[in-house]
Amino acid sequence: MNKLSMIPAGLVAVLLSTHAFAADGATTGPHGEKPTPAASFTLTPDEETKIKDGKFTAALVWHEMSEYTNAVNSGAQDEFKRLGVEVVAQTDAGFDAARQKADVETVLAKKPSIILSLPVDPATAGPIYDPALKAGVKLAFVDNSPQGYVQGKDYVTIVSDDLFQMGHKAGVAMAEALGKKGKVGYIFHDADFYVTNQRDQAFKSTIEQDYPDMKITAEAGMADPARAEEIAQAMVTQNPDLDGIYVTWAEPALSVLSTLRSAGNTHTKIVTLDLNEPAALDMVKGGAVAALVADEAYNIGVTAARAAAGSLVGKQAEPFLVVDSLAVTKDTVKDGWKKSLNKDVPATIAEAIK
Amino acid sequence: MSSATSNAANPAMSMISRINIQQYVVYVGFLAIFLFFAIVLKDSGFLTVRNLSNIVLQTAPITIMAIGMVFVLSAGEIDLSIGSTVAVAALSAAVTMNAYGMIAGIAAGIGAGVAIGLVNGLLVAYVRLPSFLVTLATLGLFAGVARSLTNLRSIPVTDSMFTGFFGSGSLLGIPSLIWWTVIAIVAGHLIFRETRFGAHVLATGDNARAASVSGIPVPRIRLAVLVISGALAGLAGLLYAGRLQAAKYTLGETDLMTVIAAVIVGGTLLNGGKGSIIGALVGSLMMGMLNNGLILMGLSVSDQMIVRGLIILAAVAVSLREKLR
Repeated sequence: MNKLSMIPAGLVAVLLSTHAFAADGATTGPHGEKPTPAASFTLTPDEETKIKDGKFTAALVWHEMSEYTNAVNSGAQDEFKRLGVEVVAQTDAGFDAARQKADVETVLAKKPSIILSLPVDPATAGPIYDPALKAGVKLAFVDNSPQGYVQGKDYVTIVSDDLFQMGHKAGVAMAEALGKKGKVGYIFHDADFYVTNQRDQAFKSTIEQDYPDMKITAEAGMADPARAEEIAQAMVTQNPDLDGIYVTWAEPALSVLSTLRSAGNTHTKIVTLDLNEPAALDMVKGGAVAALVADEAYNIGVTAARAAAGSLVGKQAEPFLVVDSLAVTKDTVKDGWKKSLNKDVPATIAEAIK
Repeated sequence: MSSATSNAANPAMSMISRINIQQYVVYVGFLAIFLFFAIVLKDSGFLTVRNLSNIVLQTAPITIMAIGMVFVLSAGEIDLSIGSTVAVAALSAAVTMNAYGMIAGIAAGIGAGVAIGLVNGLLVAYVRLPSFLVTLATLGLFAGVARSLTNLRSIPVTDSMFTGFFGSGSLLGIPSLIWWTVIAIVAGHLIFRETRFGAHVLATGDNARAASVSGIPVPRIRLAVLVISGALAGLAGLLYAGRLQAAKYTLGETDLMTVIAAVIVGGTLLNGGKGSIIGALVGSLMMGMLNNGLILMGLSVSDQMIVRGLIILAAVAVSLREKLR
């Protein structure tokens, strides 16, 4: 589930402008919100009955469709179905703010009670959602909310990843893979992008603070994923004794993997973020990849749908709900795929586990 | 006896074929799609005044760009650069407006469009490069310029007079975007149909050599159509900026294919010599109506794309096939 490669560089600047970096040990929301575990938001049977009786409807207004959005989307669809909320429309703005505005206007013709959305451009998204606000539609957002919008008044909540937890779990997985000691290479995303910055930082501080026998002995920033192979090559050539390499997300990790393979290196382990079929295949075949840390994207959709539906019967939600992440290893790949994407593992991987 | 019957039948047949069914394909198609949605979606808000006016408002920038494209295609050229002209114009307008006020902002937006049109036009008309390649290159070039203009940042547009004039405002109860559409269509249609310039554009597209021999200043016509297209893409940029109250480098990036499809479906030939401004308007509305209706039908995103693609393919196939006969 490569969420990052789907995000155009433009978002980087936008997100940066609205996001505070994590302090020590916690993810912060786009407007500095404190995170609340998504699992803590539940509905009572009584509330669920009220929702079912309400004959409510919902529209899903996405920024674009990727594997990540797909998982969020199907989580939302399933939860709405469970709650008897009919999904009346679904749109894809293809990262175009103008199209997202048109999409919001269009779905309003169906008079939905709820709109779930991920704003293409949070910094300037206010005018896009204003017509929905005026029409009294309950808004709930994934990952970010329009600047100037007030939680509890203008929208229900933001649901997102626990970025710090993802980086932290990557650190723990690396320690497990290396027996809690050894030399680690650290390939981080060298751009101001809050998603990767929080995750990378969390990995680094976890290794530095929690594992005294582990040392980050090589660091390299990667600005352009297309150049990951060159960076990996330089790192592996200069530091042939690395026990493990952390890579900021799965796509560049594949370049690191191919570098290790062509160097005949069977010693160095890789830990990276996001589920990715080739990387997972290498992992189950006992290759260099030791763990993939993934978020529960499906649960983001479930939680957003649940919170939005709850708001229709007067249930308040915390401003920033975060889903868990999980470290997927060779032994947990089947469950991991199910938990993160609510899908079965791809056939190639299922075949390899047998 | 039998020959008499066939003689009587033939003129009738040729009469019918001379009525030019092809000219009406876009209108028939438009009506068919409209009726289909009106029936299928009658309880889903499709026919509400609000929804129908939304379609016109949402397609205003596409319609405006389509008018420019009719001129360009009719002259036998193409302008692919509009995809990034929109963003350059919107960003130039937003930045200038925030510093120097509305009038300067409007001038900067239109000026940017005209300047890009001039670059394209000079290269095509006087350096004699093919417009397809020139505008393909400037499409990429100005996409880069749009990104570097504000370093990928989106710029808010807060001037309420501007957003009223180009986006959310209305005059005599009619939204400003509809005014812009009407003005551009009427002006475009009159210039295209009733002026010598319009005739020269068609003659150039039909046969540039013949046009040149008969004294038409072909290079100047080529320059002019590309400048018109640039200026109208600039205006589309202003309309987006007004409607979104923001400018961003991605504006217009996905519009190019929609504009070309709208124009072709509307009866303009890809290789010049024939065009229709009214057809382009109907084509553009058809595109908007398709987007709108398919969403309201509750289709999944991928199904919407497949159905939209098939309908556009069918529409283009019908209108082009008829015309090539």
